[in-house]
Amino acid sequence: MKKKKFDLERTLYAVLAIGCFFLLWWFLTTFTAVKETTPGPVAVLKLLGESFFKPIGGKVITGHLLTSLRRVLVGFSVATLIGIILGIAMGTSRWAEAIIKPIFELLRPIPPIAWISLVILFFGIGETSKYILCGIGAFTNVTLNAYTGAQNVDPELIGCARMLGTSERDIFFRVILPSCTPQIFAGMQVALSTSWMAVLAAEMVGAQEGCGWMIQRGSDTLNITLVMVGMIVIGIVGMLLAALMRTIERRLCSWNIMEE
Amino acid sequence: MNEFAKEKRRQKIKFGIVSILSLCTFFGVWYLCSAVLHLKPDYVLPSPVQVVKAFITKLNTKAPDGATLGGHILASLKVALSGYFLGAIVGIPLGIAMAWFRKVDMFVTPLFDLIRPVPTIAWIPLMILWFGIGLGAKAAIIFVSAFVPCVINAYAGIKQTKPVNLWVAQTFGASRREMLFTVAIPTALPLIFTGLRISLGTAWMTLCAAEMLASNRGLGYMIQLNRTLARADLIVVAMLTIGVIGTIFTVGLDALEKKFVKGGRRR
Repeated sequence: MKKKKFDLERTLYAVLAIGCFFLLWWFLTTFTAVKETTPGPVAVLKLLGESFFKPIGGKVITGHLLTSLRRVLVGFSVATLIGIILGIAMGTSRWAEAIIKPIFELLRPIPPIAWISLVILFFGIGETSKYILCGIGAFTNVTLNAYTGAQNVDPELIGCARMLGTSERDIFFRVILPSCTPQIFAGMQVALSTSWMAVLAAEMVGAQEGCGWMIQRGSDTLNITLVMVGMIVIGIVGMLLAALMRTIERRLCSWNIMEE
Repeated sequence: MNEFAKEKRRQKIKFGIVSILSLCTFFGVWYLCSAVLHLKPDYVLPSPVQVVKAFITKLNTKAPDGATLGGHILASLKVALSGYFLGAIVGIPLGIAMAWFRKVDMFVTPLFDLIRPVPTIAWIPLMILWFGIGLGAKAAIIFVSAFVPCVINAYAGIKQTKPVNLWVAQTFGASRREMLFTVAIPTALPLIFTGLRISLGTAWMTLCAAEMLASNRGLGYMIQLNRTLARADLIVVAMLTIGVIGTIFTVGLDALEKKFVKGGRRR
């Protein structure tokens, strides 16, 4: 499906489509009633350029981005670590499954955003609560995927290894762990984007800096241009994060590329 | 064989008991931390007993957030389902069209890729600006969140149709239209259902965010308002209600999928 060859027709259509999009946006915000509320593409791009030098609130745009990214990464990495351990434990040991699964199933269907209020009551609106919310966003997906991954390890492989006299420790590290890595990565992909979404929600509800705060600030002061700048930046960073995860995945589990 | 079955049953019972014990321990620790030791004040960490009490009174009291639990649930369901169905109705045909017609694919895919990475939550201020804070804005936000997985999965589903199957249809003189409706769409159905399931989950999750920021009724609003009132018991009630309804949705869609999709479920 994917050829590396340069496809002229495809590129042409893509340029045409995006051109049409911007033209329509420009047209709507220049000649129709929409201009009362919505800024045009020129204004948005101008503010986007300016925001790298002129601080919004206390920081320039890169500062806000770094703040949000730090929150996501801290929450995400801690939650991923716990999630993988719990998930694999549940997938490999019946005891762990019987103990952890009911509690996990009880809490799993509650969306991370619904935790915001309770977390704020518990930990205030400081950094801790943001880390925890990002963590909750990542935790369920990683755990679930590690669990199913460890559960679906081909029993023949384990049997083979055991028959050849491999120790239980080696079976775990050389058979079970590698064979559920692709699934764990699939979970981490989703988890990272959920985390990114959770940090936005957390920042929109209560924060003094960060991308979500930027959008909320724009909305509160009726500065819609700022809202749109925030959306663009968030979209780009979200895309970059996903691409980064895919690259790491390709490196770490080259024997099992899940896509294509 | 009989011995084996018996042993299996014994194991099942044993681990079932462990599971129940584990849940009991969970609630026990919760009760101990809140009602006995008072690690945190009541308005932050309610005991399970308080939560159950709050649930029962909330069933027919409107205080303090303006509606009974049933009222909140109805309001949330109305918003979530209207946005969700709109997203599915627009998203699935669009995904199918993108995968089936080359020109549509080349034109729409770049636009779709442009919009897709922006998380739904980031749309909230814009939607409020365009549609007000009524049903419209919330439905529009949920529309965006449900729309994306529907498109992606319908697209992937049609794309995985085996060319051989299409060739067979072609050899027997099927028109392109017939090929789409009798070969490609049935092939795509399992993935389309996956899309429907994922988007129902995201729709329900986004609902909370939408209602937390702008609303005067609904489960998300209940969570938000009770935080400012420091009524953690009601927050927990709302959270658990959201969880239970989400589970009911998933189970319902699973049943639907089993009924409509032929040839087993793909994961």
